Amino acid sequence: MDGPQILIPILVVGMLFIGLPWLVFHYITKWKTAKTLTSEDENLLDELHELARRLDDRMGTIERIVQADNPNWRALGADPVETALEDRSERLYETSERTNRPSRRT
Amino acid sequence: MSALKTKFYLDKEHKKWAGVCAGIADYTGIDVTVVRLGFVLGTILGSGTLLLAYFIIAWMAPTKPRELYSQSAGDRKFWQEVRANPRRTARDVRLRFRDIDRRLADVEAYVTSSNNRLAREIEQLR
Repeated sequence: MDGPQILIPILVVGMLFIGLPWLVFHYITKWKTAKTLTSEDENLLDELHELARRLDDRMGTIERIVQADNPNWRALGADPVETALEDRSERLYETSERTNRPSRRT
Repeated sequence: MSALKTKFYLDKEHKKWAGVCAGIADYTGIDVTVVRLGFVLGTILGSGTLLLAYFIIAWMAPTKPRELYSQSAGDRKFWQEVRANPRRTARDVRLRFRDIDRRLADVEAYVTSSNNRLAREIEQLR
């Protein structure tokens, strides 16, 4: 056996007993620091999740109320210059005579 | 101190043997039956190593604290997402707040503009 062939078992043993555990523990520590949430983080996340859910519910209620008040409120809110109230003139004057129908302001 | 919700626990309420498969299913959100099938197949193919892993997990993992069983289905799903990817869940929560903010702005715009409209109507009636 000459020089290089003696080195092979030493290298293999070194890789098996030092390199491999090193690699494994390196990734374990990396994984742990990346993944763990502290209990503070958890509580914060829990609270935010709960808060978002509650606000979402309230927002839904308010939107329903506004919707009942005026069905095309979204268009009005988006364009505040628009005077448009809900246009009920059609419905109001449909049955009565149309001659005295007032001119709508622009 | 409350129980950590991002840890792995043995699920004793839905257990067959020790609750390992039920725990994995609860942790990841995968169906329990699929996990159990995977374990059985793995045991057959891997000639028993997975069975050993099962007992090691059953021995090492803590059992699920009582207060965590009363979670609603929505909460359970939320925490499964947190375990899978906390960063993405945090982003999702932020997105929900943004959405609420936007909707609130819409309602606010409508309410303020309707006040203006009302004032103008009254002005015209004079």
